[in-house]
Amino acid sequence: MFYGTQGTLTEVQRGIETARGLPNAHYISDDVYEEERDVLLFANWAGIGLGADIPVPGDVMPVELAGMPLFMVRKHDNEVAVFQNTCRHRGMILVEEKCNLRGTIRCPYHSWSYNLDGSLRATPHVGGPGRNYDDNVDRRSLGLFTIRSHVWRDIVFVNVSGAAPSFDEYASKLLGRWREHEQPLFHGGPVSSFAFDVRCNWKLAVENYCESYHLPWVHPGLNSYSRLEDHYHIEEPGHFAGQGTKVYRQIDGDKGERFPDFKGLGKFWNKGAEYIVLFPNVMLAAQRDHGYAIILLPQGPERTIERNEIYYGFDPEERPDLADLVRRNARLWKGVLEEDLFVVEGMQRGRHGVRFDGGKFSPKMDGPTHVFHRWVADKMHASRANASNGASAPDA
Amino acid sequence: MHGDDFERMLEKANANILDAVELGDSEAQAAEYRRWGDLLNRRGRIDEGCFFLTQAYVLALECGLEYADDIQQVLISHGRDRE
Ligand code: FES
Ligand SMILES: [Fe+2]
Repeated sequence: MFYGTQGTLTEVQRGIETARGLPNAHYISDDVYEEERDVLLFANWAGIGLGADIPVPGDVMPVELAGMPLFMVRKHDNEVAVFQNTCRHRGMILVEEKCNLRGTIRCPYHSWSYNLDGSLRATPHVGGPGRNYDDNVDRRSLGLFTIRSHVWRDIVFVNVSGAAPSFDEYASKLLGRWREHEQPLFHGGPVSSFAFDVRCNWKLAVENYCESYHLPWVHPGLNSYSRLEDHYHIEEPGHFAGQGTKVYRQIDGDKGERFPDFKGLGKFWNKGAEYIVLFPNVMLAAQRDHGYAIILLPQGPERTIERNEIYYGFDPEERPDLADLVRRNARLWKGVLEEDLFVVEGMQRGRHGVRFDGGKFSPKMDGPTHVFHRWVADKMHASRANASNGASAPDA
Repeated sequence: MHGDDFERMLEKANANILDAVELGDSEAQAAEYRRWGDLLNRRGRIDEGCFFLTQAYVLALECGLEYADDIQQVLISHGRDRE
């Protein structure tokens, strides 16, 4: 396939002064999409959903990570687990929709039945009508494939390859940076949950979230209280990137009411707020009185579902007096985040320009974006090098 | 009970089960399958009985009904399942 005058990954890996951005193929090619699915999404810790999606034991919810069928379940011990949503018999999809299960997960095809911990409980008629065992069908070895998972800030992360370091190690730098925010989070309820179906590659959403360069143009409304010079870059090569502000202003209601702060935050957070993408696909906000998470669910090279979810340090159910403010806050964020959609969709269309060469970074303003591109390029490069080593390994 | 009467009732049972399927009522299905499984077994029609009990067992498991374990024990006692 012809992708035009493309840069190479090596050019992406250079210092920002001379680097180019990722070639078009990383945004529009099916092949590269699949390669990135394995190398970026499956080999690392990717977000797929929320603990709040499955609040009570027995709750299950199907979710696809870049086409891979998974389901999340809240087990009887209240822990979250993730399994491949594929029956071990003939490969039927097991969980079709979000629901609460009173008992086992029964495959709709031949009714092989699984416990919530993934173990295979029953194999009806497997040895002939009315005979439920067969010497060649060992139930103990036919449980569902467990997908390694971890819940942080109520986000369910998975490492599909099973080979990444533990989540705590993987995210250690961010966990350290935001350790004061390590406290109970309460989802703001249905009004605080909204999704966008966006015609762009998932990486463009990451790139746009990382940078503050576009704020005065795309979010002029933020200008009055959040000027460009009050923002700083956040760059942690190999891990995350984003932006921070030194003039965060709390939202207040008609009677001056505000959301209670998270407990025990240091002075920095009085006016400080940070917006960070934990690579690959989770975009986060930490602020004194609420936070949010945006989970990017890739639907193909040119389409992404963005799930936006707002969280508080108090239980909104216990504060009906703040319900209005919770609603207003969600509307406010929705408005701001919607302003970004034409940009990410526009950049997607721009990447069909065959002469586009990855673009030119501003060394002053595009640092966080380059940190992300570099992370992508490094991972892809290493994976390709590995593959070609394997292929050319001597027989001896 | 006369053999023919029993067959007629068995047909009725099938109709009941189909009704329960229609209503999406798995508990009713499980109960009906179980009833007829036990009856058939008592008449020595073990193949049919265990077929019904298997259906009852899996549906009871799905509904989280405690008697699923009892059914499994019956199936095991007839050599139709293992722990
Ligand atoms: S495919 Fe699931 S039981 Fe046959
Ligand atoms: Fe933006």
